[in-house]
This record gives sequence, C-alpha cells and structure tokens, in this order.
Amino acid sequence: MAEEFLDRFLSEYYAEGEEHLAVIRRALLTLDDAVGQPRPDAAVTEELFRSFHSIKGIAAMVEHREAELLAHEMESYLRALRDGQVRLSTPGVEGLIAGTQLLEQSVAAHRTSAPQPDIASAVSTLHALVADDAGATAAGDAGPVPENPAAAVASWRCVFTPSPELLGRGVNVDVVRSRLRDCGQILRARPLIGEGGAITFEFLVSGEPDVATREAWLADGMACTAADAAEPSPAPAVTERATAILSAGHYVRVDLTKLDDLMRMIGDLVILRARLVDALAPVEAHVPAHVWRPLQETNAGIERQLRDLREGVMRVRLVPVGEIFRRMPFVVRDLARDSGRRVRVEMTGQETHIDKFLVEQMMDPVLHLVRNSIAHGLETADERIAAGKRPEGTLLLAASAAGEIATIEIGDDGRGIDAERVVARAGAAGVPVPAVVDDAALLELICSPGFSTREESDRASGRGFGMAVVRRTVQELGGSLRLWTEAGRGTRFTIDLPLTLAITDALLARVGHQMFAVPQASVREVIELEESAVQRLEDGEVAPYRGLALPLVRLSQRLGIASVPERRLHAFVLGQGAAAVGLVVDRIVGQREIVVRSAVDPLIRVEGIAGATDLGDGRVVLILDAAAIARGVRRQGGAAARAATA
Amino acid sequence: MAESSDHYILFTVAGTAYALPSQQVAHVEMVEQITRVPNAAPFVDGVVFSRGQVVPAVNMRIRFGFERADRDLRTRLLVVQVDKRSVGLLVDSCREFLTIPAADVQPPGDSLTGASTQYIKGIATRQDRLIVILDIRALLASAEPILAA
Repeated sequence: MAEEFLDRFLSEYYAEGEEHLAVIRRALLTLDDAVGQPRPDAAVTEELFRSFHSIKGIAAMVEHREAELLAHEMESYLRALRDGQVRLSTPGVEGLIAGTQLLEQSVAAHRTSAPQPDIASAVSTLHALVADDAGATAAGDAGPVPENPAAAVASWRCVFTPSPELLGRGVNVDVVRSRLRDCGQILRARPLIGEGGAITFEFLVSGEPDVATREAWLADGMACTAADAAEPSPAPAVTERATAILSAGHYVRVDLTKLDDLMRMIGDLVILRARLVDALAPVEAHVPAHVWRPLQETNAGIERQLRDLREGVMRVRLVPVGEIFRRMPFVVRDLARDSGRRVRVEMTGQETHIDKFLVEQMMDPVLHLVRNSIAHGLETADERIAAGKRPEGTLLLAASAAGEIATIEIGDDGRGIDAERVVARAGAAGVPVPAVVDDAALLELICSPGFSTREESDRASGRGFGMAVVRRTVQELGGSLRLWTEAGRGTRFTIDLPLTLAITDALLARVGHQMFAVPQASVREVIELEESAVQRLEDGEVAPYRGLALPLVRLSQRLGIASVPERRLHAFVLGQGAAAVGLVVDRIVGQREIVVRSAVDPLIRVEGIAGATDLGDGRVVLILDAAAIARGVRRQGGAAARAATA
Repeated sequence: MAESSDHYILFTVAGTAYALPSQQVAHVEMVEQITRVPNAAPFVDGVVFSRGQVVPAVNMRIRFGFERADRDLRTRLLVVQVDKRSVGLLVDSCREFLTIPAADVQPPGDSLTGASTQYIKGIATRQDRLIVILDIRALLASAEPILAA
C-alpha cells in the first residue's frame, strides 16, 4: 500500500516536473533573445522563476536532492534578475540552459533509477552568477537545504492539511511553502498520510512564527508546533484521494496504458460488430421487411456510435506535435554555435495533434534529421554569402494533418544533398546503386544500413542513430519517409504517419486461398488490368498507368502463394509519382474497419507483413506493409522500368 | 535446482515424451485455424490469435526434424511465455500435469551429442518412461535445425 502511494506520488512528480520543464524550455528561448537588454521581459523572468520554484518544491517532497539543488540555484539567479540585482548576460542564459538540460537528465535518471548526473560544477557556475554580479545572494531563501536538518537551528514543525475548501480559497501547498519561507528556512518537506486516509504535508522550518501568525494559519489548515528532538511521525497509510488533491484544475492526468486498454476494448467491440453484420446478412431473406428494417437501423446506429466512441478516445490520446518541435531550438542553438553557423528556426503547425505514442517515438528521428540539417545541409555564413544567400540559414519544422495522415517536415535551405558523393560513397560501401538516381533512390541509398557520408562521426550527426534507424522507426509506426533535395537550394524530409495506430480502414484482398488486409491510407488507387496489357521488362513486369509504366509486383510471387487468377488483374497502386508500384492480387474483396494487432515475435517478423487483424471469425488476417513491398519492387525491377520510360 | 520437486506439463512429439516447467506454459488450446505467414521459417506453421495476442505456431514435429503429420483431435497448441514472448508450440498431444522430484532429473548424458543437447535441460524417468525436459529459451532463441533426440 505504502509503495503504491509512493509510486503514484512519484509519477505525479514526473508529470508535473515535465510540465514545468516544458514551460521553462519555451521561456528560455524568449530570454535568449533578450540578452544585452537592460531588463528582460518581467513576465518571462517571473514565469521561469515560478517554474523553477515549483520544481524545487516538488523535488524536495520526493527527496530528489539533485533536482532540488539545481532548481534552487536557477531560482536564485532568476530572483536576482527579477529584482534587478544582476544583468541578463550570455553566460547567465547559458548557465540556465545548461542547468535546465542537467535538470532534465537528473529527473530522467531519477525516473529510471539510473545514476544521477554530476551537478557539482553546474551548481557552482550558477551560484557564481549571482554571487559575482550582485555581491550578495538575494534574501529570503537562504542556500540549499542542509543535509542534516537536526544540525540546524531550533526548528518548528508545521503540518498542513489541505482540503477542497482551502483549495477554493487559494491555500495550497505552494502558498504554505512561501508563507513558511517568510519566517525561516524550510529544512524538510514531506507528504504524510493520516489514518483516515487524508493527506497532509509536514514541514520542518527554522525560525519561529509569532503567535498571531500561527493562529491565523490555523484557520488555513496549518498547525505549527515546536519541533522536539524526537518528533512524531504518523504511520503512513494510503488513499486514492492523495493524488486528486495534488492536481487542481480541469485536467486529469491519465496513464497512457489505461487509454490503450480502452482502445483495445473498443477494438473488441468493432470485431464483435463485424461478427454481427456477418450474422445478420443471411437473416434478411428470411424475415419480413418490417422486422428487418429495425434490425438494420439498429446495426447502423451501433456502427455510428462505435465510430464516435473510437474517435472520442482517439482524440484524448492526441497531443500537439509542438511537444517535439519545442525541444529542437535548444539543439539547434548548441549545434549552430559549435559549428559556427547562424540558424533561424521556423515552425509551423505546432498545433497539429497526433497520437501521444507517435510523439514519443518520433522524438529521436526528428532530432536526427535536425542534426543532419545543421551538420550536412546548412552552410557557414561565409559560404552562404558567397552563394548569394542570406548569411542566416533557415531550418523549417512543419506539421500538418489531412484525413487519417499526419505529416511532419524537416527542411533546410542549405546546399542540398550531393548525389554524386552519395553514389560514390555507396559504391565504396558495397551498396548497389541504381541506374537513375532520383530523390527516392537517393533516400534509399542514404537509408541503407552502414551508409554514412562522414567517415568520422562528429557531434552533430551523432552516433548509432543513422538514417536507417530513422526510416525503420517511421515504417514500424506504419508511416513513410520521403525526400526532396536540390543542389544549392536545400533538403526536405517528409514523414507521413497514420494519425492513430490501433484501428484503421483497410482494403481486403484475396491471393490464392488467403486473405490479406492493406491499410487504405497507403493505397492510392485500385485498378483493373487486362493480362494482355502487362509487358515483361528485364526481370520485372510493367503496365501502362496514367501515361507511365507502372512496375508490377504479384503478391502471389512475392509471398510464395499459388495464385487463383481471374480473367482480369486487380491491383493496388501504392506510393507516389515515380515511386508508385502496382500490387497485383487475385481479387479485391472489400473495405473494412480493422483492428491492428502487432505481430512482434521474431519468428513471424517477415518483411512485407506489418501486423495482423481479426475480422470477427477468430481467424488471423495478415496486414501487409505496403511500403516494404513497394521497396522490394524498386530493388528488383522498378529502376529498370523507370529507365525504360525516362 | 533449489526446489525439491517441480511441476511440469507433459506433451508428446513423434512418440517421445517431453516436459516443460508449468510456469512457462500460459495455457493449452485446441487448434483451430492457423494462418500461414509467407516467408517465415519452415517450422513456423503460421499465426493464431490466443487471448487477443498474435502468437506464432511452431510445429514441433518439423522443429525436431520429423515428417509433418495431419492435425487430429489430440493435437494441441501449448502457449509458452518466456522473456515477454508468447509462442505457441504445436504438439501431437498434451494431457498430463506431472510433479517430478528434482532428484529424478538427470543432466543430458554423453550418449546425447551434437546440437540437440543444448535444447535439453535434463532427462527424467517416471514409471519406465523417458521424459525429455526442454530448455524452451534455447529452443526459441535459435532457428537452427534440430536432430531428433
């Protein structure tokens, strides 16, 4: 029980810490622009001050000393800044940025029970910022919390019992802390659970509040007593209410796994309804119309409601893409400074909402593409001036959503990808190079495992997380990666992702006696062909399609299944433009809402298979990975087909 | 092994009795429809849904180098759970739950040589029956062909 409470309390700490850090990151960027001005924007300083202050408070409660110390030092600097005791300087902003990054690391390490980062030098740097400039530390909060509270001066014990009524009057833990701080130093703060399940906060304070103050405080749920040597410590017990009190406002924090559970339950409902549809179909012929109609109407109603329900739960899981973007300016700032470049970051569409899980998964790939842009894409200011460009490079981060697809773009106006160098490098690395190297082929080359345009890995391009990993991550999420590049004008990577993963619309097709599902988002068109229209070309087949030769892949051959062909060929057109391929199947059965289940076991991880679904009869239907299949064709005969039509 | 005796699930493949520690076996199912997975290893018959999860079905006859046999009423799917993986083992039959004293389990002897020994944890004799105790982790970690013990 006690452990469960601690876990809840800790996850509350991490969630709240993350929120404050997000505010800090945003505010620091504004502050960075204000260096040299006599007085930075008071609202920004105040916001930073309050955020660090809050982190310090919650870190103290969970006894995360490193975070508490870091936050304390940054809070002190900001207070001095706010009170005009120090001027905003570049070392100051850098100290804050470095301190914030260390704070992030420290919280992350705490969360994973990893060793804490070394904070000593950062703390002394931050400390010196105030001491050097102001001569004296700002009054109020005096120094970090001593290791041993017993060694401090005579102390008072204050127990605060929050209640909804107090919360309504604005008396919360933060207010209590600041009141106590006015009369002395807070030596220790910890949450306690009383026997009735009520949560209280115990503070140990140096310095003595006067009698009148203590009486006034009593009305606010604050009971102060002189702390004796052997202070009582109520036996902890646990309550569900504990976390509810801590989070005020209209928001409820929900564990993502609970939403996953909900989504799974809805998935089961979708399958159950599919079964109902199948069971109803034969009934129509046997019952009179007046019996049939309400049945059918009810069924249609269930479908509508189910869709709404599914969309409702999906919406809960959606968070703004801005969560990814917001971190990038820091990275850009560091890298640009280290490499002597001037970079302006342009962001659009931060409010585009995508699944929380996708946001988490996309963080590293986007980070890698941003690093690549600065390390390989953008030129130095001198090079840019020589090329007739503005000295300042532009890095574009854009997001948008259309239908079921969310798009993230990472672009720069740099030198573009040098195709010749890539080809030479690929040749040297033993990667097969196609005859015609267009953007899609270029992407294929730079995403080959083991490919890197730089022999030595520098800081900017990073280690171990290459383009191959970027593309694999995108594909594992059911998305695709595209490239546009032009010499002297720049490079742009486009990531298309499904808005959600669990349930999607799919087209069903039959090959031989086996049924397969293809996510509808990856199918551009469904076409029918005469067998006579198919032409053999070297080792592949092509068919005319919109004035181009469309490379074909027969799913039966690809998967080694005996085909039961019909008179005409049926194909899904997958991919865009020159990268399009036609996937030939025996018969297209229909369209259906499917519940995607991952097939992750190594024994069934086969290229071309993205997962599995259940159509309601308990049988597994495999979901095809359209992108992987299209890629396979490109490797086999696609290049030859394009060369022939070029 | 510290315990004095362990619980095992007993099954047969091509006439030989095998055992797995019961805590590794999530459940045992009748086999319905198995969906073939193209280009998977030869001993993977396909996938099935087992309690909402997509689980590979490993044909133990093929895995041990025997001829494929038609599924019948005694055919079972043993869904084992190790290292967060769920894998179904298609076996000829599976009906017994057995407690074997640790003292009765002998290490695989010198008479068993080659690749097969690495999948065998031990051999137990119960009422004149030889029972091969499998090391499921080793078995699932490798795709190497196994010669029948």
